Amino acid sequence: MSTISVLVLILFVAMVLVGGLQGLKSFLSLVINFALIFMTVVLIGLNFPILGITLLNAVIILAVTIYLGDDDPLTTETAFYGSVLVMVLVVLLIIPMEHWAVVQGFGNENTEDLEGMSLLVGIKFLDVSIATTILSSLGAIAEAAIAISAGLGEILSQNPEIPVTRLFKDGMSVGRQIIGTTFNTLFFGFFGGFLGLFIWFERLNYTWGEFVNNKIFVSELLMILISFIGVILTIPVTTWVMELKVQRKRAKKIG
Amino acid sequence: MSKVQPRYQVSWFTILFVIVIGGLLCFATQHNAALYKAPVGQIIKVTNEKRIKQVDNFHNHDYSQKQILKVRVLNGQYRNKTLNVQNTFSASNAMDQAYRKNQQIFLAVQKKSDHKLQATITDLKRDTSIVFLSLLAISLLLLTMKFSGFMALLSVLLNGVLFFLAIKLDVLLQGTNVLEIFGVLAFGFAGLTLFLVLGKTKQMVVTFGATILGTLGSVLVTLIVLNLTHDQGLHFETMEYVTQSPKPVFIAETILGSLGAVMDESTDIISSLFAVHRETPDLTHRQLFLSGREIGKSIMGPLINVLFLIFMADTFAMMVLYLRNGDSWGYAFTMNMSLGMVQSLVSGIGIVLAIPAASWFASSLLKRGDRA
Repeated sequence: MSTISVLVLILFVAMVLVGGLQGLKSFLSLVINFALIFMTVVLIGLNFPILGITLLNAVIILAVTIYLGDDDPLTTETAFYGSVLVMVLVVLLIIPMEHWAVVQGFGNENTEDLEGMSLLVGIKFLDVSIATTILSSLGAIAEAAIAISAGLGEILSQNPEIPVTRLFKDGMSVGRQIIGTTFNTLFFGFFGGFLGLFIWFERLNYTWGEFVNNKIFVSELLMILISFIGVILTIPVTTWVMELKVQRKRAKKIG
Repeated sequence: MSKVQPRYQVSWFTILFVIVIGGLLCFATQHNAALYKAPVGQIIKVTNEKRIKQVDNFHNHDYSQKQILKVRVLNGQYRNKTLNVQNTFSASNAMDQAYRKNQQIFLAVQKKSDHKLQATITDLKRDTSIVFLSLLAISLLLLTMKFSGFMALLSVLLNGVLFFLAIKLDVLLQGTNVLEIFGVLAFGFAGLTLFLVLGKTKQMVVTFGATILGTLGSVLVTLIVLNLTHDQGLHFETMEYVTQSPKPVFIAETILGSLGAVMDESTDIISSLFAVHRETPDLTHRQLFLSGREIGKSIMGPLINVLFLIFMADTFAMMVLYLRNGDSWGYAFTMNMSLGMVQSLVSGIGIVLAIPAASWFASSLLKRGDRA
């Protein structure tokens, strides 16, 4: 058996043992997200419009991650609307940033991996890079949105008459609790995977100037910063969505 | 779920200060050419030539186009000289780019025998863009999160420094002990981060223990599986940017990649359990353990997805190139995505293992009826 299939099996068994039905659903969300990611890259390879495909699949990935990640309807719905809003904001930031930093495609460090390949493939790599950045930030946005709306949902269930203005403060305080650890998840997630590149920089004695302007390093840093910003924005935006929902529900009750 | 209370507030004044300093810093990077040894030039005029159609062996349609750039050198011995530089770019821009007016670039300048200067472009100057984005992130963070934002930032920065030092050490030792170095470093990372987030508390010790146990467990599982399956279906030689034996680097990358997420999960579970214990100190070990599991299982799915999406999306450029170069889906996956897949799976296993570890540690440490 191949290594990947054994690891998949172990992860599946572990998730079901620890999480029961919820574990099964979470595992399912991984499988669907994998299919969506793979489909996105295949469609890009087939010359479909890159941004359109990416945005469409991004919304589906958010829905899958959120609706299969939690059961409570108030939590999931708030988290979903909140995360889609944040995604729109983040995309509006990503597009100009990618055009500004010009970090698409490959750097000089990739030369060896590209040997014998045609680079004139007629696909806009700037758009591919935008797609990468959007997709890599989605997980963090979805996770933060769930954490905030679940935290607020908990507060609402204990104190259903809580004034709406108070809710915002609570959302921020839930945000404060998650921000530190979420940042570290992202930091290690991104930079851990690029250990090899950093060793390369150090071995070949890159100067600080070369390092800070390096295409691959800047592209990686750009992704991590965008994800950070996505998470930061998720906190007020999700709280705001929750406020709106609560207000509307209360208005209905009175009317 | 209360954590460390802010000891002092970050005032509006500080935030304003950061934004003003940030603006100045951005402006400064536009005019910092003097700091660089390599010649920096600013493009003052762009003349594009005709597009030439290109079709490769796989019937991909593209074009190549030449442009002549008039560049003014901003630093060094050629300062204020204007040069003409040639650049060729394609529609796909995989390794090239079309330059625009006012962009700043690094140059390699040579004096030819007839005393004329000849220059080629080595790279685009990207410091302004990345400084701008960093400052945007920091300002937003301080604006919304105040003190906690500052602590989060501090822990990321300190971890960055630690990471950098470890890489220096690895290169110094010729890459012979990469696993040992980064294994030990993982302890350092976890200890430092948790200390900054939680302070020197019992809760911190418990979280540290659970993090180490979860990470260690997942790494052991991986090593056993890799050994039993003889790395079947994996191609460590496809790893990018490798300057030393790839497999240890891969395992070190996996440890670091999953560490943050395992820490995240453990922190959430344990801080909730401590809060539960404060509110209802009469719960038994078993009840505490079960409620830890309950909290953990709702976090694990989204958390595994965070890393999974990062690892998979990172392979997109290479995947697209393989697919357009006529490779099959399966081959493209094996060569580009399979290692990232293993990393996602291993961190997933770590995240799941952290749930019983964290619940067990916390529940056995919190004594019944104890109002600590």
